[in-house]
Amino acid sequence: MIYSFWIFDKHCNCIFEREWTLGSNTNNPNALSSGTINSKQNDEIGKLLYGMIFSLNSITQKLSTSISDNQINNNIRSISTGKFRIHTMQTATGLWFILITDFKQQNYSQVLHYIYSHIYIKHVVHNFLSPYDFALNPKEQRGQGVKKINNRHFINTLEAFLQSMLN
Amino acid sequence: MSKSRSSSLSTHAANLSSKTGANQSKFFKTFGDDIWKNKIEKVNAELFIMTYGVIVQQLCQDFNNDYMKINENLFSMGYNIGVRLIEDFLARTALPRCPNMIMTSEVITKVAFKVFLNITPVVDNWSSNKDTFSLILVENPLAEFVDLPHDAKKQLWYSNIICGVLKGALEMVQLDCDIGFVSDVLRGDASTEIRVKLNKILKDEIPLGED
Repeated sequence: MIYSFWIFDKHCNCIFEREWTLGSNTNNPNALSSGTINSKQNDEIGKLLYGMIFSLNSITQKLSTSISDNQINNNIRSISTGKFRIHTMQTATGLWFILITDFKQQNYSQVLHYIYSHIYIKHVVHNFLSPYDFALNPKEQRGQGVKKINNRHFINTLEAFLQSMLN
Repeated sequence: MSKSRSSSLSTHAANLSSKTGANQSKFFKTFGDDIWKNKIEKVNAELFIMTYGVIVQQLCQDFNNDYMKINENLFSMGYNIGVRLIEDFLARTALPRCPNMIMTSEVITKVAFKVFLNITPVVDNWSSNKDTFSLILVENPLAEFVDLPHDAKKQLWYSNIICGVLKGALEMVQLDCDIGFVSDVLRGDASTEIRVKLNKILKDEIPLGED
């Protein structure tokens, strides 16, 4: 079961979000087929999520320096709570791909890597008239940007891909 | 909270952290060769050479053989490719950031050049503080069949797009570098050499309020 999916760019901005939250809109037959955006009516959630991962990641970087000099590959991979698991993948360019799921499956790193290499690369990176950097000026950096990926091909392909994992 | 065990995708990244010197060099060689063989769709070489040739030719026409402007334009086209190509590269390799320029030079030559152009430039002429090095292009697929006209020989860097690609790609992994040709066999020089100089490592942004 997948609850939500997020992408953050190197400017700490959320550039994509989709939620498949059960319960809040069970009357809507389309609730499962197409993800909702920000169903909790709280745009702080994305910022809080990023903030938590950012802080945890800085802590692990500090811990790894005390263990050895090598900081390679000591990023957060997943975080678990009593109810769900947060899977994360960071690229060397500073993008974060984040998937929130239930406990059924341990490891979603293949899924995150597939989204990056087959969906994000094709529909955003190889699409030259779409921006690759969503913050146009310093006012949109450091988590203050609001621009999102609104490319139809990207959204449709991603939703179709995640669809199979919803239940 | 718990951290999950390492994934198969990034095990090579973990492997690589334990390797140094010659071992690391061998590792990247095999790694790059493997990706070239198994994960890359090949294109017709002649079509590739002609596509690049026609770009340079069109620029010569547009800028009335002002070679300085042509160099600049090739560089900026390369930059626009580089900032995107780096994501493609990372998606294929899943490599983490390099801790020093020595590893950066290994990844550029044995993995990046291998994967995208099927050549492996030689790394040479390190500065004493190990932040500047040269890439010697023994082969250059862009320049095959090319013979520069006499007036272009002193000014045109025919393959300048490569410098732009490197600039854009490195900048996206927070390495601010100066990159440029210092010699080219097309100009009658003994070798084709690109100089890469690290200016500074850019800082990752942190969310407002976290500092």
